[in-house]
Amino acid sequence: MAEPLYNEAVVKKCIIAAVFWAVVAFLVGVWLATELAWPQFNLGLSFINFGRLRPVHTSAAIFAFGGSALLGTSFHVVQRTCRARLFGGDALADFVFWGYQFFIVMAALSYVMGFSQSQEYAEPEWHLDLWLTIVWVAYAVVFVGTLMKREEPHIYVANWFYLAFILTIAVLHIGNNLAVPISVFSAKSYSVASGVQNAMIQWWYGHNAVGFFLTAGFLGMMYYFIPKAANRPIYSYRLSVVHFWSLVFMYIWAGPHHLHWTALPDWTQTLGMVFSIMLWMPSWGGMINGLMTLSGAWDKLRTDPGLRFSVTAVGFYGMSTFEGPVMSIRDVNALSHYTDWTIGHVHSGALGWVAFISFGAIYYLVPVLWKRSGLYSHRLASWHYWIATLGIVFYITSMWVAGIMQGLMWRAYDAFGFLQYSFAESVLAVHPYYVIRMLGGLMFLTGALLMVYNLIQTVRSRSTEPVFALPGALAVAGE
Amino acid sequence: MDFEPSDLIVGLLMAALGLIGLILASGAMDSEMYVFGLSLFGFACVFDFGLLRRHFDRLEANRHG
Repeated sequence: MAEPLYNEAVVKKCIIAAVFWAVVAFLVGVWLATELAWPQFNLGLSFINFGRLRPVHTSAAIFAFGGSALLGTSFHVVQRTCRARLFGGDALADFVFWGYQFFIVMAALSYVMGFSQSQEYAEPEWHLDLWLTIVWVAYAVVFVGTLMKREEPHIYVANWFYLAFILTIAVLHIGNNLAVPISVFSAKSYSVASGVQNAMIQWWYGHNAVGFFLTAGFLGMMYYFIPKAANRPIYSYRLSVVHFWSLVFMYIWAGPHHLHWTALPDWTQTLGMVFSIMLWMPSWGGMINGLMTLSGAWDKLRTDPGLRFSVTAVGFYGMSTFEGPVMSIRDVNALSHYTDWTIGHVHSGALGWVAFISFGAIYYLVPVLWKRSGLYSHRLASWHYWIATLGIVFYITSMWVAGIMQGLMWRAYDAFGFLQYSFAESVLAVHPYYVIRMLGGLMFLTGALLMVYNLIQTVRSRSTEPVFALPGALAVAGE
Repeated sequence: MDFEPSDLIVGLLMAALGLIGLILASGAMDSEMYVFGLSLFGFACVFDFGLLRRHFDRLEANRHG
């Protein structure tokens, strides 16, 4: 029996996993927001207290939901744009998928059991880091191998972004997790770097997890799915290449802005700040490229809710990549650091950019992969869009107000030079905004549940007529 | 037999990793390593059985198709 050209089974599994983990991540997020507003919801249970559950939320959102979406879309895009089946056979692709899911489950379990190396976004201990390294190398082999056996002479730009994501995350992951275990039979380990060196390596990793996991990878998604959904080629292919090289060159230097006003040397802090501000240029270049791809096709936003998610995501990308460099300015950072402004900023990127661009890709992919004529309900997808957008607005505006208020209260002095407010007073002052944040998260979760229902019904629908065939002579997104 | 080379390579890799999991669990000094080791062993077994099942499914499909 002839083998189909593409391995779509593994892409389907990744998309199902992404949707599942999205719901888990949002659910845990809402629970944590509830704990912050009303601490009695910790329930006195160690395994669901805020400290243990917080990395479950961040890992579920970034690595489980985002990572599964990136795995699935990268496998889809690289096959389609290279006209080649995944390298390494189905077994290797399955190993990447299931091995990655195993890592996620084991990491979450270790957090709730109280095991962590206490480095943000790099909490898993050494044995889990080693496991992820094996899986990631296999992922790189599949992706690079597929590129090498491509039938197309050109490597489409989305693949460049995915490749930067895969290779850089490998380097970051290994560099930041160099640790010595106290025994091979113990989960406990100590980092090879200490003090400010450890902090610098951590934020070199941490910021580039944002830059290469949450930005470069999802830009790969943007450069494929927006042209496909809009049925238009990219506005400027040249700009996309400039976007790629300038972004990857500048992002890698920006990490020190997480360590303003610390023991890190001033010149290093300034370096991080300057490169962060320079990042405005590639970020906005990419945003303009994404938005202008809609030229002549803006009417599709009325009829295609998936595309609406993608385009709104690009808007949020522009907004959060404007806000980030502003916050990296040392004097602004003096106000914003350690406050909820940072939390609001992170979520405008995570919900508005990462989640929305993923939703757009998922709404596009599900009918394509399951050979359906379209979504079960455009109306439900529209409801998802509006509820989720309103949820983000609730979330980020409440965190802006809470964060700026915290920063101002912490720095206020009275006429005698004493601090005007105790820390506890600032905690009390932000309580209403924590409640609003929880409601925003609840709305976002509600929207995601509507998406789950819509997707299940799409797959269960009887229609088998795919409508995404390309019109003749129009090549978009490298196909 | 009609083997996919990647099935064999990945299958053997998983078998080796599963054995490492068992060894880690056998000497575990804390609950995390014990749970991880046993889970890795279980994961490797299930994954390899999946490879076997797919291999025979493919043979059967070839016979009928």
